[in-house]
Formats: sequence, C-alpha cells, structure tokens
Amino acid sequence: MRRAALLGVAAITYLLAAWMVAPGFYDGFGPQQPYNWTCPPPQAGANIKPSSGHLDVNVINGQSEPSSAYTQDGQVVIGFLPGAFDSTGKTMISVDITPLPTCPQPKGLRLVTNVYQITATAPLMLPSSMSMLYSNLEPQPDDVYRADDPDGPWRSIGHASSAPPFVIITSTTKLGYFAAGYKNSSPASGAVVVGGGQLLPIIVAVLIVVVVLAGLPMAVLRRRRASGGVEEETEDA
Amino acid sequence: MLGAEWARALVVQQPGLAPAALLLGGAALAAVAVGWRAEQLGLGTSRFGLRILGGLALGAVLLLPAAARSGAAPLLPAGLAFAAIAVSIGEEIAFRGVLYAALEAVGGAPLAILGSTILWTLAHVLSHPPAFLGAVAAAGLLLALWRWACKDLVGPILGHVIADLAL
Repeated sequence: MRRAALLGVAAITYLLAAWMVAPGFYDGFGPQQPYNWTCPPPQAGANIKPSSGHLDVNVINGQSEPSSAYTQDGQVVIGFLPGAFDSTGKTMISVDITPLPTCPQPKGLRLVTNVYQITATAPLMLPSSMSMLYSNLEPQPDDVYRADDPDGPWRSIGHASSAPPFVIITSTTKLGYFAAGYKNSSPASGAVVVGGGQLLPIIVAVLIVVVVLAGLPMAVLRRRRASGGVEEETEDA
Repeated sequence: MLGAEWARALVVQQPGLAPAALLLGGAALAAVAVGWRAEQLGLGTSRFGLRILGGLALGAVLLLPAAARSGAAPLLPAGLAFAAIAVSIGEEIAFRGVLYAALEAVGGAPLAILGSTILWTLAHVLSHPPAFLGAVAAAGLLLALWRWACKDLVGPILGHVIADLAL
C-alpha cells in the first residue's frame, strides 16, 4: 500500500508541476520558449507581449546588401538577398516588423500566430525567405498567409517542406501582413480534440485512481512473492 | 547519457536534422543497455497485461495537463513520430533501466529513484526552458517510482511514448 500511495502522490505532484507551466510536460519537441501572444489563448498562462523588429539595409553601388530582419523575440525572421529591394535613389532602406495589436480571424481561416506587419521603405524585387514560430498551444498551421490589409483578403503563400519543429518557413515577393494558420473548413493537420477544462477535476481523480489501481496488483504480487521467500529481482525472469 | 541527450538537444534545432538527431539520440541511449539482462532492466514479460495497462495510465497522466489546458493536443508531425518513439524508448532504457539498475545495486532503491530523476532532469536542461524543468523532474520521479513499485519498465516506456507522440 505504501508503494501505491507514493505513486499516487507522485502522480499528483506531476499534475501540479505540469499544470503550473504551459503547455505541460513534453520531451524536447516543443518550442524552446513559450510563444509571446498578442491575444493569448486562455491556456497560455503568463504571457509576454510580442516584440517588434527593425533593420536598416545599406545600399552599396545601387544594390541593397544581404541581411535579415527579425523581431527581438525571434518569432519572425525575414532574410533579404543581395539586391532584394528596388533601391533606386536610396542609400539605406528601413525594414520594420510590427506585431498587429489586434487579432483578426478572417472568415474561413484560423490564424494560429500573431499577425505581423512587415514594411520597408522600398519595394521588394526578389523573393525573401521568412520563418515564423508558432505555439504548441494551437494546432499546427498548414501555411503562411499574407494580406495587404488586416481585414483581408488573406492569401496562402505556402510553406517549405523542411523546417525545425514549431517553425514554419515560406518565401514572399511582397511585404504586408503575415500570419500562419489553416483553412477553417477542415480540421488542421495534426490536431485532435482531447478534452475540456470543466471536466478537469473529474478527469484528474479518475486518472489518479487508474494509476493507483494499475500499480496496486503488481505491488501486491511482489509483496506476496517477497514474503514467500522469492527474490524480487527474479520476478521478471 | 548526459552527453547524448545534450548533443541531441543541440542538433535537433537545426533545420532538417531533427528526425535524424532524434533517431540517433534514441539509439545511443538504448545502446547503454548492452550487457544487461532484460530482467535487470524491468523488461520481463510476466503480468504483461498489467504492464500495458500501467503504461496507458501513465501516458494519460503525463498528457492530462497539456490536453486540459489546450482542449486540443497537437500531434507531432508524422516525420517526427518514429523519431519520438525511438527517443522515448532510449531514454527509458537508459535512465529508468540501466541507470536505475546500476544505482540500485550501489545504494538501493532510494538512490536509484533520486539519482535517475536528477540525471534525467539534467539531461533535459538544454532541450527545455528552465520553467519546464520542475515538470520534467516530476515526470521523472513518477516514472522512477513506477519502476520501483512495480519492478517494471514496460509501463514507463509505453507512457513515455504516448506522451511524446502527442506533444
């Protein structure tokens, strides 16, 4: 019984410890840092507002230099190739990445990241690679979407097939408003509905009982065998 | 073990290398079991149904906080699923199998439980934000206590695999 009780206490300890951090336990596949939300979902816990970013691109001999703009929290990175901008008559081009203070949810789309406005003082001439982090508190996005106005229309600009976990990569030939998401008409890939918050106390209680009950027969069998003079280590033999 | 875990945590962040890093990391961890008998590691087949039941229960407990918070548990991308299974099995064999058995032989169950939990937590220092390490330690303690109470590693392996596939 002592062993079963310790298991129960350990299960409760884990549930409390995991509940205190969002999203709970995971084993190395989650984002390195919690996502900074403009509009945090209820389950996000403590939240830091997302950062903006600024870049000055030098123009040398009429060609803009290669460089990358990124938000200070690293949630958006956009890389520019040499000559990526139409730099006619300019010696420097300013790029700004600003998280939109609101969270538009266009019809037919579910945006699972903040919306970022990326502007530059010169138009893009070459495709630029862009990566966006997303949170594991939301379903995995299928694509990155771009719009000229937050109210839409939002259009998919696709995504690269290879990216680190919880990063979506794409390329764009136009700046504007960007967010990652999926079409609302079908469930997001890799998402499954598991549970609801109001049932939590019942679920916790049931699971603790299940763990204790699952461990109890084995502990009792071990105890019987041990008291019968059988070496515990030989049980599994 | 720590070296393998830390190397995996660093390499997995590189684009395109995550599945390979996870598979190799899991294999490296499992390789420490060479020379050990399955029974020493808690991998016997007696009461197998109970072991499976225990693994399902452990998996449900490990998943519960995230599932309840999100209302939806994002599944791992398919390409990472096999790698996640490899890492889960490798970690359990290394930490709750070989390390636990070695420490138990030296200092008994308390040393095995605490030692494997501490090293398991240290192994996750590079792959998790500091705020998550308490939950990691608590999960390690739960799995190590199961290993002690039931002399079983099948349950922790199954529970760990279930949790990793969903998270």
